[in-house]
Amino acid sequence: MSADRIEELKRRRRQQWLEVLREQGLGYLFMAPWAIGFLVFMAIPLGWSLYLTFNKVKLTPEGFDYAWRGLGNFRDALLLDHVYPVKLLTYIQEVILMIPIIVIFALFVSLLLNQSFPGRFLFRAIFFLPVIFATGQVLTELFSQGAGELPFIDQYNVKPLVQQYFGPRFAEPILGILGKVVIILWYSGVQILIFIAGFQTISKSVYEAVRIDGATPWESFWKITLPGAVPFIGLNAIYTIVDLFTFPLNPVLEEIKSNMFKPDTGYGYASALAWIYFTIIFLLLSVVFLLIRKAALRRRRV
Amino acid sequence: MVELVQRWSAAKNKIRQVWIGRKAQKVKRLIIGQYLNDGLMAKAVICMMLSFIAYLYLQPLLYMVTTMVKPLSDLLDPTIKWIPRSLDWSNLKKAWYGLQYPEAFRNTLIIALICSIFQVCICAITGYALARLRFFGRNFAFFLIILSFMVPPQIIIIPLYSIYGELGWLNTPLVFLIPALFGQGLRSALFIIIFRQFFSTLPKALEEAAKVDGASGFYLFARIMLPLARPAALVVFLFSFIWYWNMYYEPSMFLNSSFTPLSIRLNNLEAVLLGPDMSGVKITAQNPITEGTKMAGAFMIIAPPLLVYMIAQRWFVESIDRTGLVE
Repeated sequence: MSADRIEELKRRRRQQWLEVLREQGLGYLFMAPWAIGFLVFMAIPLGWSLYLTFNKVKLTPEGFDYAWRGLGNFRDALLLDHVYPVKLLTYIQEVILMIPIIVIFALFVSLLLNQSFPGRFLFRAIFFLPVIFATGQVLTELFSQGAGELPFIDQYNVKPLVQQYFGPRFAEPILGILGKVVIILWYSGVQILIFIAGFQTISKSVYEAVRIDGATPWESFWKITLPGAVPFIGLNAIYTIVDLFTFPLNPVLEEIKSNMFKPDTGYGYASALAWIYFTIIFLLLSVVFLLIRKAALRRRRV
Repeated sequence: MVELVQRWSAAKNKIRQVWIGRKAQKVKRLIIGQYLNDGLMAKAVICMMLSFIAYLYLQPLLYMVTTMVKPLSDLLDPTIKWIPRSLDWSNLKKAWYGLQYPEAFRNTLIIALICSIFQVCICAITGYALARLRFFGRNFAFFLIILSFMVPPQIIIIPLYSIYGELGWLNTPLVFLIPALFGQGLRSALFIIIFRQFFSTLPKALEEAAKVDGASGFYLFARIMLPLARPAALVVFLFSFIWYWNMYYEPSMFLNSSFTPLSIRLNNLEAVLLGPDMSGVKITAQNPITEGTKMAGAFMIIAPPLLVYMIAQRWFVESIDRTGLVE
């Protein structure tokens, strides 16, 4: 091999390296603002709040005054507090009921919207409308004036029926949901859009094929549309859970906020409450995530 | 009896014959459709069901609008449910003063508009890097973004409060502008995921062609990729604008005095109206603060984004189909 050729190869390799370095550098450059932001506005506050949970925090004119108490805050929250665990449990029950309501409602509406009929655009616009005005304050105001209830709940005396059939243990969350069911349904705007967009990913030719084989629309729904929608059901379940974190009628958040400014509990205790809440929701998310994984794997195997 | 049965079967035959006739077939196809879900009947059923759900869905909004214009006597009258006997516009006037609307509107607009523009830019850049550039730690960064989407704001609000306090940003719009500029705005993780999804669907050949033509990394992004991402940018901008407009929890922590957006002021409506009278609206027994006033306030908060949505919704729904918001 001539010296020229070796030189040429070296040059080419150097160039390749430069190319790789340049792409790496460009990547880091593009990511830099986000990384700085993440560090300052997410990572540091997150670490700090974790530190707060192990302390009794007092606000003095000079700043925070920490007194280490180990796991004391968590122990108090779970064993001594009379209000928080009850509110937390009730709300988690409600969330577990709300997720299927929202997801199934979104699936149903998006299926209807996916058919072709006159006025489709109008209906799409209507069902996305609540994303705009489902704002914390407006919702709370509407809810306190009783505008979120279904009109027939009072008319047909649903309340005693629920109490009779579900027992006092489960009646409360169910009634809680019935009282704001319209507002809950309002939380399905984004989910409806995700489903509609999801249906576009199923190719039309599959439907034509099964139609030629003599499948009814009913069958093609169960055999094609629904399995095709499974990943989006999962996505929507996750989105719904995350969305309900900050649901404006969320009693857990109110409790956390009120504890923040109580003199005998303070920031440390409130942080502990928030972390307990976060952990539970995180577990919920992991369960949903695992279920989707499982469903996806099963589908791949078939 | 026998005659009756015969006559019945004759009639049945006749009906069947007509039914088999070509015209009937056509009508049948039109009504029931070839596959049941493409006929008029199915369409009518779908429309009816959707209208019913839409009614339920819009009912609180209708409640808001009708309550807003009800005078006191109509509010107290249990026989009046939806349609007021007379229209009363004083609620809107009271809400206008109670919210101190022009000032609050300006504050909200500053936050929502600037933050959402920042969000579009930064999330596009980050999403592009995640989708298109190879660098070490890319997957880890994506994992962190998903994780940050799931952290409830309540956890970090106290440390953030003291950080912003140190920096002297409290009660200024900076508490929202700067985080948005650095990719930590409201639900920015979701927006980054949308952009990443969008950019990863673009064909690879595009980049190669541009590289052959000698385009640098920045040029490629700014001149080729970003213009293509217009539908995604529109979706992100609208979502971001609306969510910033409606944001309540964070402002209630960081903005206590002077610089408050509309959402906060609904709570203080009564205090402002009952306070020192500078407004020109007199609160008396004949002209009290009613549910109608609060509904008028609520309506005035949602009216601007509603208007934006009405203008943009056509592109918006189309864009969502095109962005591949999913997966």
